[in-house]
Amino acid sequence: MAKIERSQKLFLDALKEKFQGQDPESVKTTFYNFGGLKQSPRKREFMAAAKGIEMSRGISMYDPEHCHLGGLPMGQRQLMTYEVSTTGVFVEGDDLHFVNNAAMQQFWDDIRRTVIVGMDLAHATLQKRLGKEVTPETINEYLHILNHAMPGAAVVQEHMVETHPGLVDDCYVKVFTGDDAMADEIEPQFLINIDKLFIDEQAEALKAQVGKSMYQAIHIPTIVSRTCDGGTTSRWSAMQIGMSFIAAYRMCAGEAAVADLSFAAKHAGVSQMASILPARRARGPNEPGGIKFGVFSDIIQANRKYPNDPARASLEVVGAGTMLFDQIWLGSYMSGGVGFTQYATAAYTDNILDEYTYYGMDYLKDKYGFDYSNPDPAATIAPTQDVVNDLATEVNLNAMEQYEGYPTMMEDHFGGSQRAGVMAAACGLTCSIGTGNSNAGLNGWYLSMLMHKEGWSRLGFFGYDLQDQCGSANSLSMEPDRGLMGELRGPNYPNYAMNVGHQGEYAAIVGGAHYGRGDAFCFDPLVKICFADPSLIFDFSEPRREFAKGAIREFKPAGERSLIIPAR
Amino acid sequence: MAYKPQYGPGTSHVAENRRRQMNPDIELDKVRNVTDEDVVLILGHRAPGSAYPTAHPPLAEQQEPDCPIRKIVEATPGAKAGDRVRYVQFVDSMYNGPSQPYQRTYTECYRFRGIDPGTLSGRQIVECRERDLEGYSKWLIETEMFDPALTSIRGATVHGHSLRLAEDGLMFDMLQRCIVGDEGVVTYVKDQIGEPLDRAVSLGKPLDDAWVKEHSTIFHSLIGLSYRDDVEYIEYIQRIHSLRTKYGFMPIEE
Repeated sequence: MAKIERSQKLFLDALKEKFQGQDPESVKTTFYNFGGLKQSPRKREFMAAAKGIEMSRGISMYDPEHCHLGGLPMGQRQLMTYEVSTTGVFVEGDDLHFVNNAAMQQFWDDIRRTVIVGMDLAHATLQKRLGKEVTPETINEYLHILNHAMPGAAVVQEHMVETHPGLVDDCYVKVFTGDDAMADEIEPQFLINIDKLFIDEQAEALKAQVGKSMYQAIHIPTIVSRTCDGGTTSRWSAMQIGMSFIAAYRMCAGEAAVADLSFAAKHAGVSQMASILPARRARGPNEPGGIKFGVFSDIIQANRKYPNDPARASLEVVGAGTMLFDQIWLGSYMSGGVGFTQYATAAYTDNILDEYTYYGMDYLKDKYGFDYSNPDPAATIAPTQDVVNDLATEVNLNAMEQYEGYPTMMEDHFGGSQRAGVMAAACGLTCSIGTGNSNAGLNGWYLSMLMHKEGWSRLGFFGYDLQDQCGSANSLSMEPDRGLMGELRGPNYPNYAMNVGHQGEYAAIVGGAHYGRGDAFCFDPLVKICFADPSLIFDFSEPRREFAKGAIREFKPAGERSLIIPAR
Repeated sequence: MAYKPQYGPGTSHVAENRRRQMNPDIELDKVRNVTDEDVVLILGHRAPGSAYPTAHPPLAEQQEPDCPIRKIVEATPGAKAGDRVRYVQFVDSMYNGPSQPYQRTYTECYRFRGIDPGTLSGRQIVECRERDLEGYSKWLIETEMFDPALTSIRGATVHGHSLRLAEDGLMFDMLQRCIVGDEGVVTYVKDQIGEPLDRAVSLGKPLDDAWVKEHSTIFHSLIGLSYRDDVEYIEYIQRIHSLRTKYGFMPIEE
C-alpha cells in the first residue's frame, strides 16, 4: 500500500452546499440553534398536511413536536440536505424514503412485474404437434393479440369483463432474438433491438448467447403486481399468453396442446427475476429477497450506457441495490420503520462513495497499470490474496483519512453503518473491477471491515458483529454451505440475510467484476436485454438520476388509479 | 505454558493505550471522584437510598441445583442478591475520546465479571446485575476511561460520537444531558435516559487536549496518529484476514 495523490474531491461541492458558510475541515461548530424541525421545509410541509388530515378524520397523526422524545424534536443540529450522487440535485432525506418517491416505487414495480418467456417451446408445440405454420407474420399477429390481451383484455370468449386501458397503459410485451434475419421481420414496435441499444461488442456477445431463440419480455400492469405480488407475474402472463396463442393460431380452446403452451409459459420457458424464498421468508418468486446479485447487476443498465466507466456503472448498481434491498426489502418487507433509508442513502448521496471508488481506480492505474477506462478481460489483475489485501488496505485507509480530514463529511455519515458500508463498498469495487473476480471483491469488502473496526474501534450496528467478522472465511470458498460464487449469492444468502447496508453493495461488487472486464452481461443475457428496453417506465441505465427525479416530484409513475376515483 | 494475553498488536502509543486499558494487571489512573449517589443518579435506574429491586430471591435462599459450573464460578454480589439486570451506555467521541466502543468491550471483558456488553458504532452498552453495574460504572467514570467532554452516558440519542464538537468542546447531545458551568466544570442535569435530575451531578473539568491526545485509543490522521503509521497493526489485520480466508476452505493438515 502506498498513498497516491488525487486532487479531485468529488464530495466537496456537496459538503459546501450542505454546510454553507462553514469550513468543511473544522472540528468545531455550533448546535442547538437551528429551530428544530422548522428548519426543514419538508418537515413543515408534513406538519401542515397532518393538521389538515387530523381535522378531516378526527384522529391525531404526525405530531413530532409532542411525540419525539417527549417534546424534544429533531433538528437540534442541522437537518442536512443530500445531493443524489452525480445528479447535482439536492433533496431532503425524506424525499428518498420510497413512500415519498414515486421513482423508487416504480423501480421495484418494473422488476416485480417482469418475466421473460421463451417462445421456442410454444413454437415447437404449434409446429410439430399441431402442424401449424409459424412465420414472422404469424408471430407479429400473435404479438398484436398479446399486447391486446396482456393488460387484461379478452380474446376468445364473447362475454367477458376487461380492464380499462388507461389503468394498465404500462403493460406490454416485446420480443428479442439473436437471429438478425428474424429480428428484421418483427414489427419494430414489438422488438427490443439489441443492435441499437448496445455497443457493437456487447450486442454481438448478447446475440451469440440468445442464438436463434426468441424470447418475450413481458411486463404485466403495475397495478396488478401491486395488488397481488411478484408471484402473480408469471401466472397473469401465462394465462394471457395461452389465450393469445389460441386466438392467433386458431386453436381449440380446450385441446390438450394448450396445456403444453401453459406449461411452457408458467414453468418450462419462464425466467423469473427472482427465485422463490423458503417458508420462513414467506415470499414467492419475483420478490426482492430472491434476486441473485448477478441478475440484479444485469437489470441495471449503466454498463450499457457507460461501458468505459465500470466505476460509474457499479455505483449505479449500489444506488439501485441499496434502495431496493435496504429500503424496500429489509426495511419494509422484512422489518419496518424508517431507519433503513438513512443507512442506504449514504451510499448514493453526496458523491462520497464515488470519490472513494475513483480513488481505487486511480490506485489500480498508478500501482498496477490497470486502466479502468478500457475494460478488457486480458487486462485484469490476477486475484491473489496479496493483491486483494493491498487494494483493500489502501482504499480503506484513504477513506478513513478522508472522513478524518473533513469532519463535515464524518458528520454527513454520522452513523457507523453508513461509513462501514461505504468504505467496504469502495474496497470491494476496487478489487472486483481490477481483478474481474466477484469473490475477490467480496474478500476485499471483509478486509475493509476488519481494518475499519480495529482502526476506529467501532464498526456498524450489532449485525456487523456477525456478518462482517466472519465474512473473510466465506468469501472465497465454494464449498456447499460455506460459500458460493458472487453472481449466485443474493439477499437470502445465509450470511447476508439480515443486514442493512450490505446487499446493494454486494450486488455492485458482483457487477463490477464484469464491468471491469467489459462483459456484455454478468449472469443472464436475457435479463440484460430485457431491461434495456426504452419503453419501460423506469430508466434502468440511470437509477440515481431517476431517484432524484422522484425526489423532486418530477417522475411520472405507472399504476395510478386517478381514472377510477373521485378527483382530489 | 500458561496463556499470556497480548491485548492486541501495534507499536504506536494508541496501540499501547489500548493494551493498557485492557490489561487488568495495570491499575488505571483515577482522575476524578464521584460519589455512589452521583452514579445512581446518572444511571437513573433507582432512587438513591432505595432497595435494589430483585428479579429472584437471593441465591442463598433458594434451592440451587447440583451444578458443577456453579461450584467453579462464584456468583457476583449482584447475582447472589438476585438483583435485576440493568445497563450503562457510553458514547465516545471520535475526536480522541479516551476509550472507544470495542475498546470498552474488550476492557470490560478483561476486568469485569458477569457482564453482557454490546458494541455499536456510536455507543457501547454493558448490562449486568444492578449493584455490580453501579460499581463498574463508578470505575468507568472515575478512571482515565472517561472524559467529561468527550465521553457521555446516554441511554438514547447517541449521535454525537462522529459529529464535530460544540464550541464549548462538548460532544453533541440533542438532549443536552450535561452542560459546561462556571469555571468549565461539566455538570449532568439529566440522567442517562434524559430525565431531569433533582440535583445536578458534577463530573469535573474536561481533560486538556494534550492529555486526551496522549491517552487516545483511536487512530485519527487529523487530530492524532494516522492509522497507516502503525505498520505492525495494519499487517496484523491483513494476516488475520488472510488466515480466515484460507480457513474458509477447511484445509486439512497432512
